[in-house]
Amino acid sequence: MTLTAAVDYFEPWWVQLVKALLIFGVIFAVLPMIIIYERKLLGRFQGRYGPNRVGPYGLMQPLAEIVKFAVKEPFRPTTSVGFLYRVAPMVAILTAVASLALIPYGDVQHIFGQKVGLYGIDVSVGPLYVFAFGGISFYGIMLGGWASGSKYAFLGAMRGAAQLISYEVSQGLALVGVLITAGTLSVTGIVHAQAGMWYFIPQFAGFLIFMTASFAETNRAPFDLVEADSEIVGYFTEYGGTAFVAYLFAEYTNMIVVSGLATTLFLGGWLLPFGIHPPGWVDPFVVLAKMFLVLTFFIWVRATLPRLRYDQLMSFGWKILLPLATLNLLVTAVLVVR
Amino acid sequence: MSAVLFFIAAIGAITGAVGVVMLRNPFYSVLALVGHLISLAALFLLLRAEFVAAAQVVVYAGAVMVLYVFVVAYVGGADEPLHSPGGALRALAPLFALAVAVELCIALLGTGLTAINSRGAHYVFGFGTPRQIGQEFLTTFLFPFEVASLLLLMSAVGAVVLARRRRGLEGTDEFEDRFAAVPRPAFTGTMAEGAGIRGGAGTTSRPAAQERPLGVSSGDPR
Repeated sequence: MTLTAAVDYFEPWWVQLVKALLIFGVIFAVLPMIIIYERKLLGRFQGRYGPNRVGPYGLMQPLAEIVKFAVKEPFRPTTSVGFLYRVAPMVAILTAVASLALIPYGDVQHIFGQKVGLYGIDVSVGPLYVFAFGGISFYGIMLGGWASGSKYAFLGAMRGAAQLISYEVSQGLALVGVLITAGTLSVTGIVHAQAGMWYFIPQFAGFLIFMTASFAETNRAPFDLVEADSEIVGYFTEYGGTAFVAYLFAEYTNMIVVSGLATTLFLGGWLLPFGIHPPGWVDPFVVLAKMFLVLTFFIWVRATLPRLRYDQLMSFGWKILLPLATLNLLVTAVLVVR
Repeated sequence: MSAVLFFIAAIGAITGAVGVVMLRNPFYSVLALVGHLISLAALFLLLRAEFVAAAQVVVYAGAVMVLYVFVVAYVGGADEPLHSPGGALRALAPLFALAVAVELCIALLGTGLTAINSRGAHYVFGFGTPRQIGQEFLTTFLFPFEVASLLLLMSAVGAVVLARRRRGLEGTDEFEDRFAAVPRPAFTGTMAEGAGIRGGAGTTSRPAAQERPLGVSSGDPR
């Protein structure tokens, strides 16, 4: 029972296990780097140094913070629902990590005489896989807010969940343009279809809509009022210590997933421009470099744009982004069928 | 391996379904239904119906149940468990349950249970993929597909009409109307105060939105 029905070769179980551990391990190791990179870059944008006390150039700052969070007292409010209060961050992490599997880092390679696809899975339903887990990740937020037994956390969860499902529609519709241009749902197939031209050129409107919706999906600025400092309510208001880190971890993992999706669907995956064809082992580094650029863009936008008010956020999502995404889909469909 | 997964998913589905009707707290009932739907998606996946499984999770667990959770979380809190029905309903309920059970038994036994001993259909490469399902929708099942989409469109339009009738969608600048006209006491840190335009003890300062000349405001006819 594997999810690889779209693949015309067979991988033994240990290859799949190694791939799963490798992807998780690399992303897990990259997460603190992203956090320190974000804080350093934000500091530079705001004319200051950023964290510079712990270790050389302040690079050990995430480590210090993890220790700080880990040794905090695990508490829960007396009004909370104990079981769901503990399960909710796990749901958030589980869905975020499961979505990681879809990002392709390269094509099928021969490693030690074994055919190995440099991706977690290549399902026939493609990006729908990520959206399925995105749908479940809603419960991580909702349960967290509800089970906290606090009105602020509950209202924050409601806002966060409403934002999540509102922008999921636009995000999905923006992707359909890519899917019908490529004519396949398989993520490796989509990358191969971009050999002539990366899709962010013919699908530029779709790319913009996808990125905008992704900012909202991952609760990043300018749509970060679920968790912004100046907004006192958030679904994790009542969380602290490791449970809070779990939410933080899920959030940054979601950011990585979204940047991976943008790389795969719009920025040509592991392909390089100008007809350069490097050997197969370079491919994952190309993908990681592109993901790094997308993440830098995420951070840049956070430093640049002001935060939206909640009603503006909702009306932007439903009245501007959704019609635009539908129009983009319609035009793409007409052009492709023609 | 697939047998183990089947039993895990089947037990999950049945527990979820039982939980929906047995649990007193509506919020837990909804969560049990979510668990049930996800288990069903796992069963679909075991049958190699990948697209159906993904659609099940995206549409039912990720969209329909989300609305249920919203409504139940807002309206029916944890403090108000469902009331037991009284009187006639309580007397009639076993009768209807029995009728449904008999119907199900007739339907099940009517098949002769011949499928239990068979090996099932062979797996054809490409079965259950979006490509094949799309082809079937646009060739063999075109008419039901279009009728279903028409039905969905009608219900979507109907929902908008019903929402509009309750004056839910009117008044574009609702936020501004509601909050801008509230009188604000002095020294609450408005920008006008900071700039020295108004302020000082005793004056009732109002935000700038009120002092705009008529006609320049947000374009609302009212």
